[in-house]
Amino acid sequence: MHNMPSIYGMNFLEKSMLGIIPETVIIIFAFFVLFLAFFEKLAKRNNSYYLSLIGIVFSILYVLMLAGRNISGFYGSFVFNGFDAFLFIAILFSGLFTVLMSKDYIENSGMPAPEYYSLILFGLSAMMFLVSSNNLIMVFLSLEFMSICAYILTGYIKDNTRSTEAALKYFVLGAFASAFLLFGSVFIYASTGRLNLYGIHSFLQNVSYLGVAGSGGSIGIKVYISAGLILFLIGLAFKMSLFPFHSWTPDAYDGAPTPVTNFMATGIKLAAFAIFLRIYSLIYDFNVMNFNDILWLLAVFSMTFGNIAALLSTNIKRLLAYSSIAQAGYILTGIIGGGFYGYSGTLFYLLSYIFMTAGAFSVVIIFENSNLISLDIKKYSGIGYKYPFIAASMSFFLLSFAGIPITSGFMGKFYVFSSAVKSGYNWLVIIALLNSAFAAFYYIKIIVKMYMPDKEPAAASSNSSVQGNIPEIAGGAIDEGIMITIIICLILTLFMGIFPQIFINFANNSAGFLWRI
Amino acid sequence: MNNYLTVASIIFCIGALGVITRKNLIVVFMSLELMFNAANLGFVAASNYLNLISGDIFVIFIIVVAAAEAAIALGIAIAFYREKGTLDIDRANELKN
Repeated sequence: MHNMPSIYGMNFLEKSMLGIIPETVIIIFAFFVLFLAFFEKLAKRNNSYYLSLIGIVFSILYVLMLAGRNISGFYGSFVFNGFDAFLFIAILFSGLFTVLMSKDYIENSGMPAPEYYSLILFGLSAMMFLVSSNNLIMVFLSLEFMSICAYILTGYIKDNTRSTEAALKYFVLGAFASAFLLFGSVFIYASTGRLNLYGIHSFLQNVSYLGVAGSGGSIGIKVYISAGLILFLIGLAFKMSLFPFHSWTPDAYDGAPTPVTNFMATGIKLAAFAIFLRIYSLIYDFNVMNFNDILWLLAVFSMTFGNIAALLSTNIKRLLAYSSIAQAGYILTGIIGGGFYGYSGTLFYLLSYIFMTAGAFSVVIIFENSNLISLDIKKYSGIGYKYPFIAASMSFFLLSFAGIPITSGFMGKFYVFSSAVKSGYNWLVIIALLNSAFAAFYYIKIIVKMYMPDKEPAAASSNSSVQGNIPEIAGGAIDEGIMITIIICLILTLFMGIFPQIFINFANNSAGFLWRI
Repeated sequence: MNNYLTVASIIFCIGALGVITRKNLIVVFMSLELMFNAANLGFVAASNYLNLISGDIFVIFIIVVAAAEAAIALGIAIAFYREKGTLDIDRANELKN
């Protein structure tokens, strides 16, 4: 490799590196933050917090600079195009919110800060690598990188049994899922002989063009590829927390530190959906097997199960976890709907989902007590009078989850469901609509709790003891990072609900890149 | 190649069954390693059959990742043992609705 091929005046390495600048920036800052741990004086102040914020902002700027380019680097292992630019921005925003809401939480937990922030940054870079990876090796490596960061972060509160247990459950099921994904790659590789996703695409194109069904030994290629893709799908479905593979979700979300829960609910889910979308859009045309039927079942069961379980749960973090299973079902509806509008609707929904979820979790953090056990829903009663702004924004996020008009959740559901109707999945949409009506019940239950405190304790005791029931904010004042997060999420949720055209244009642009090879 | 893949699938299923049925944490981790190694076997066989090198490269990456996972796994196992005094997976029952 003495003579690197030169492309447009840049050599191979320069051109390849250009595509991974945003990830590289994040990794460099992650190492800087990690080095802070060596110096006691530097580690004690909030330097690592500010440094990671700066890193994420720099990375966002680099993504904006690169947006519009179409780069394929490292012999096709990576691609960077409009699709990646959109998802990079979304993922970086999820990381930004996670860092912003972590400051007080990590201080209260008594755990060292630099390692925590550097793990978040490493996890972010892994998510970005996962989104832009175009090779089965890269998909596996970045998925594992991302998951390992998430396992450590889940168990980060060392002496907390809940945190350790969550990490244990998450690890066992996460590694189980990775093994499935890996074994799926074996079958895909054995039948096609390629690891590059575009290579697999062109292989399938040739096979379907020639009409050859079986040429790979006694069992046909079609069977091998179908088996591989199903195993691959199972592996990703764990990360997307779809119904039969969801069992880790409530436990891991509940036991993990709340900022990390936000990181899992937004970033990891986003990255898993993104890579699923990329692979699915490449293989869908060839009708290897009827995948949409499988996804149909997964979507319906995820929605129904998630909503029923959320209705029955009394812990706010578990409720949000089950609701995120249901949301994954709605997002999957867009992928089933398919085509250009289905995928752009899915991207729009994913973007709006990030802002709603980050907003809801930052409100949860505010009212968390010092022993890091998340609150019972009952304790939210009466918050509406003591903290009107926070309660109002929480209500808004919950209404957005439920899909009430003028929120981004409504527009997201509208785009996703209309694309499914266009493709003729009427029953799926009917079930999804029934589910969202049903889901509104438990979201509104929390809002009612916040604004209409239970009458009985007020009648039984004096006024001052009612005041005592309302959870105090730790430290007396709300951390400005959390406040910034809530305000950004509020503005964007509202904005995406009222002027969806701007954002759907971005989503359309990026969805168009899914087929541009 | 079919025979190799059959053997790999059988090993994979043994590993998966082990993860689901075993109660000891260390045995569960061993079963997970078994699943990863089944995939390694499949890759090596396919790579040899197709006369390609890419599958072998994948195997090296898998071995590295499996080592990293084992490190995390043992860390979690030690933390769990310190808190509960046992490695029985059924004792991980604190997170409930």
